[in-house]
Amino acid sequence: MKTDGFSKFHPLTNFLFFLGAIGFGVVFQHPAYCIAGIVCSGIYYVLLQKRKALKSIARMLPLFFIVALINPLFNTLGEHPLFFLFGRPYTAEALGYGFAVGGILIITLLWFGCYNYVMTADKFTALFGSLAPSLSLLLVMVFRLIPGLAANAAQIMDARRAIGKGAENASVREKLSHGMTVLLALTGWALEGSIVTADSMKSRGYGAAKRSSFQIYRLTAKDGFLLFVIAVAAALTIFGAATGATDVTYTPDFSAAPLSVYFPVYCIYLLIPSFIHVKEVLLCRIFISKI
Amino acid sequence: MPDIHIKDLSFSYPNADKSVLQDINLTVKQGEYLAICGKSGSGKTTLLRHLKSLLTPYGQRSGSICIGSVPLEEIPPIAQASKIGYVMQNPQEQIVTDKVWHELAFGLENIGCDTATMRSRVAEMACYFGIADWFHKDVATLSGGQQQLLNLASIMAMQPDILILDEPTSQLDPLAASDFLNTVRKINLELGTTVIITEHRLEDILPAADRVLVMENGRVVGLDTPKAVGELLWRQKNPMFAAMPTPMQAFYLSNAGGDCPLTVREGRRWLEDTLPGTPEITALPSPAPVPETAPALELTDMWFRYTRESQDVLRGVSISIQAGSIHAIVGGNGAGKSTFLKAVCGTCKPYRGKVSIFGKTFKHYSAGELFQNCLAMLPQNPKSLFVKNTVLEDLQEISGEIAQVAADCQIEHLLQSHPYDLSGGEQQRAALAKVLLTKPKLLLLDEPTKGMDCFFKKAFAEILCKLKQQGVTILLVSHDVEFCAKYADKVSMFFDGQALSTHTPKTFFGGNSFYTTAANRMSRAFFQNAVTVEDVVELLAKNREVGL
Repeated sequence: MKTDGFSKFHPLTNFLFFLGAIGFGVVFQHPAYCIAGIVCSGIYYVLLQKRKALKSIARMLPLFFIVALINPLFNTLGEHPLFFLFGRPYTAEALGYGFAVGGILIITLLWFGCYNYVMTADKFTALFGSLAPSLSLLLVMVFRLIPGLAANAAQIMDARRAIGKGAENASVREKLSHGMTVLLALTGWALEGSIVTADSMKSRGYGAAKRSSFQIYRLTAKDGFLLFVIAVAAALTIFGAATGATDVTYTPDFSAAPLSVYFPVYCIYLLIPSFIHVKEVLLCRIFISKI
Repeated sequence: MPDIHIKDLSFSYPNADKSVLQDINLTVKQGEYLAICGKSGSGKTTLLRHLKSLLTPYGQRSGSICIGSVPLEEIPPIAQASKIGYVMQNPQEQIVTDKVWHELAFGLENIGCDTATMRSRVAEMACYFGIADWFHKDVATLSGGQQQLLNLASIMAMQPDILILDEPTSQLDPLAASDFLNTVRKINLELGTTVIITEHRLEDILPAADRVLVMENGRVVGLDTPKAVGELLWRQKNPMFAAMPTPMQAFYLSNAGGDCPLTVREGRRWLEDTLPGTPEITALPSPAPVPETAPALELTDMWFRYTRESQDVLRGVSISIQAGSIHAIVGGNGAGKSTFLKAVCGTCKPYRGKVSIFGKTFKHYSAGELFQNCLAMLPQNPKSLFVKNTVLEDLQEISGEIAQVAADCQIEHLLQSHPYDLSGGEQQRAALAKVLLTKPKLLLLDEPTKGMDCFFKKAFAEILCKLKQQGVTILLVSHDVEFCAKYADKVSMFFDGQALSTHTPKTFFGGNSFYTTAANRMSRAFFQNAVTVEDVVELLAKNREVGL
């Protein structure tokens, strides 16, 4: 069962937050803003996924360094060469820019990790269902199809193994042909199933009238308040960025705008979900302790 | 919605020389519960599909179907969608969306219901069907029984007047099935919805049905109250009689007179009237004990869990299966029966304990040796074994010499068909044929009788008995107590991740009062170990001889 407080808000609230967080994360190259982005998204990711998060963060680190270290190989601009490689300068500025790009990549990955946890498929379709009912139904069906296919594939492989047609200890060629056989069987099975699904849809009136969309989530006063906070913080951040608070140039010479009041605002914006999560956990403890 | 009138309905598929339906005449009253029975391929499904224009198959058709005085075709699709509900066999594939709440609302969304109405209808249905607890769950996490209940609920949310069910419980275990059928009964009684249902499990629906329609080769051969239909089938010596409830079979097979019992309760009362006082002979002689042979399979203290954090599924299973016997394992849902089979064939690796197959552990079998002429498993879903375009190709994937096995499994006429075109029972036999081609000495079967009607079951049991005579050891896991009672040599109860008491079926089911066959429940007050219809009939006959 999900215990995340932020996930309990309306999909619209969730979605707008992530829209802002990911949008800002991709656009801001200012080192302070990048670090804030990595830290805040990292905190929320760890709060959501616990141990699993640390593992995936550990897997992201090499990516971060590869992106950062590769950039100076292609980008030789910069005043301070660290060393020369094949006669080309490897500059500190380009390396700094590499770290910023790597940071942006990590921020995006982390926020999307959180997004996947919070914005489940049904929330997404609940949000966009009324805009495009048919498209959103299609999405729901695709979301359902994939785990179904995986389960069927496992069934087929287990079944084949138990009649001596498994792929263990087989050569690569045999493994490939085994994989193809399973894939073909899986396709046939899925097609067969889709006929039943189509009948079931038809028999329940699909296509008989204009579809409406069932809304299970309701916008509450709490959502209103949080949306207001998100809007204000986002507006201030955008205003700050427009007035040059996030300006930075890496090459040829590094210069960054000094930190202003907009930086803490940005941090507050990014910490909203983590704050709600921690608040909810603490409240829960307190309430339970009263029982 | 008023009555359904079917007049002179005939139907044949394009390019088929035989018609599937012939001159069907039928009137179903508003609020009636009509059960339709017949062998597979007798046209039951085709008939049901004609009751909803959108599902009607393409082909040559004559005759008319009217709802009240309006021909069915003239009823607009929206009205048909909401007023005629249709539940199909396969629970999983009927579900369209990914969440329970969304599935409940799916039909309502289609007919363009507004949100407020949808909310109250969905809430109402969730309460009525006891779905509230799993309202927010993913449909993939539900059991088959829950999925089918969800299908029913999402159709009932549209408030249909007619509910059509096409073998809705064939994929469910007996407990989930009787839950489901009770709900259907409740809908019929409490809401007055007309119910038209086809089923293999007549035992559960006949007592609820107002009338029974018997179909044979696309014709109606009987339409009457359940008791009258039972008598008719008996007089006709119709093979369909074997599908009738146990008490009814016992009644006619022992040539009794008077009012025929339909339920276990009535059967018990009938026995009480026929057997004045305590019967002279209360037990059948127990069969000669099977000589002890070396175990084909031995498990010692086996423990297994799926992930490190999860609970143990197998909790110290120790069991020994005698070579050359049919050993059945029964038990409730989620007791770990299927996992147990997976552990035996090595798909699940127990973290503790020992599996020895013909005296050797897994380690002592080289790669592939275990599944060559030694061990094979028939999975629960036969579809998972079919990977080719025809049954023939599928069988040839294993071995070229298929003639004998195909004859044994009676699938010779199906060899050129696509595996998916076969009926459930035929698929099961084709899958068994494929498994048998590996020439196993130890055969594992997971729920083999699921979705089979009683004729197929009989044919299937004959195959198993033949295999047993050839010295094959058969271990089957099943919910089907009637089948196990009839054909198994030993029965074990699986509960809480352990294999408990192992006995012969007579001792095993004779000792249980709930988890036992209908024949035993009916006769347990009079006889000690009568577990099948034949046992009851034999005991009655013996007592009658003594009485004379």
